[in-house]
Amino acid sequence: MHIAEGFLPAPHAVGWTVAAAPFVVHGARAVVREVREHPESTLLLGAAGAFTFVLSAIKLPSVTGSSSHPTGTGAGAVLFRPPVMALLGTVVLLFQALLLAHGGLTTLGANAFAFAVVGPWAGYGAYRLTRALGAGLLPGVFVALALADLATYVTTSLQLALAFPDAASGVLGAAGKFLGVFALTQVPLAVGEGLLGVLLFRVLTVNARPELERLGVLRPAAAAEPAEEAR
Amino acid sequence: MTGLAVDDAAWASAWRTRSPVDKLLLCAGLVVCALVLPAWPGSVLVALAAVVLALGPARVPARTFVRAVRWPLAFVLTGALTAVVSVDGGGVGWAPDAAARAGELVGHSVAGGAAVLLLATTTPMTDLLAALRRLRVPAAVVEVAGVTYRMLFVLLESVRTIREAQTARMGHSTWRRSYRSSGALAAAVLTRSWQRARRLQEGLAGRGLETGLRVLPESRPSSRGFLAATAAGLAALVAVGVLL
Repeated sequence: MHIAEGFLPAPHAVGWTVAAAPFVVHGARAVVREVREHPESTLLLGAAGAFTFVLSAIKLPSVTGSSSHPTGTGAGAVLFRPPVMALLGTVVLLFQALLLAHGGLTTLGANAFAFAVVGPWAGYGAYRLTRALGAGLLPGVFVALALADLATYVTTSLQLALAFPDAASGVLGAAGKFLGVFALTQVPLAVGEGLLGVLLFRVLTVNARPELERLGVLRPAAAAEPAEEAR
Repeated sequence: MTGLAVDDAAWASAWRTRSPVDKLLLCAGLVVCALVLPAWPGSVLVALAAVVLALGPARVPARTFVRAVRWPLAFVLTGALTAVVSVDGGGVGWAPDAAARAGELVGHSVAGGAAVLLLATTTPMTDLLAALRRLRVPAAVVEVAGVTYRMLFVLLESVRTIREAQTARMGHSTWRRSYRSSGALAAAVLTRSWQRARRLQEGLAGRGLETGLRVLPESRPSSRGFLAATAAGLAALVAVGVLL
């Protein structure tokens, strides 16, 4: 769910752009540094961006009848960390705005704040917390993806509420309205995206273990210890 | 055919050979007008201008244009309706001058959306990325975005093919299977994207990847006539929008 072009009044559009900018610039710096040290990561980062875009094109069956699309930033936050996702998410939003007419240019800042900043950080925070509490990879992934999705939707609803406070009950009432209307599609989607993440990572731990170890998602388990002893 | 109608339209557009900077200025002007001019008559005029320019001189297929606005329109209508319904202590009713406010919101959004779509359906992403580079966005960032754009279509094609194969094997016949298939699909696409990136990287390393992904820039000179017409048109829009 992205805010459409022209939907936010100009001061809000500018305000959210200013709010999202430091995170995106920080992400851009991280990417520039990474590419300077390892020129080959340009292609891996590009692949990660393309995957995030494509993940949002995978349809999931949903309770509300129509199918819905995952946001994909939670998976990206677990795999590539939130600062990088702030930039990749913004690039994906730009492409969605221009290739799918989904989202917009003046609302890019507001959407980036919800989709590329709050979503990945909330998901990643929840992931680290569940892992620190001793949970396995898959529960952590479920919580990360579901929460990244929910946090994005809650942030978008609050952005809309701030822009369009209710005539009688103010910003709080408006937040209730927007949360309620979009909950119909977004809450089942969050659960669905969490489930999809579990299935995705279950396949990845079998088929792409070396990549997950390199990204630091999985600890190099049995294979690493003999190697250390050998040293 | 690449599978994304807007992208196809951009490559086939009659304005494809115009300078991206010219088109960027025109569309940015229209987007700003759509945002700040009063909805009546400003938004209506901006929307009209964008649609007429796209379907007329830029020769974008009307079907593409109409299909592209369907999804954003669903959001705009839901959002606008929610914004003008007033909830207070259990009672639900229309906010004061609900119709006018909803109309304004829809007007701004449709006009802005049409202006962005005019840019999207006339300027391929590669041209826009080159323009971003000229706006001092770091080269590494533009290159990552460029790889993302170029890899999109391959991955979308993979999604389509894998999904077709899964469906043919009853992979989407029930909810349970559908979720399991979608998980496998996402995993397959992710590992494919990594493989592809690695193969590309090895190929480029063999050709001496040292200074980033350099491609020959196409030179598209800016047209004075186009810029003058843009300035005049936007000035007229602002004048009519403010005075009426």
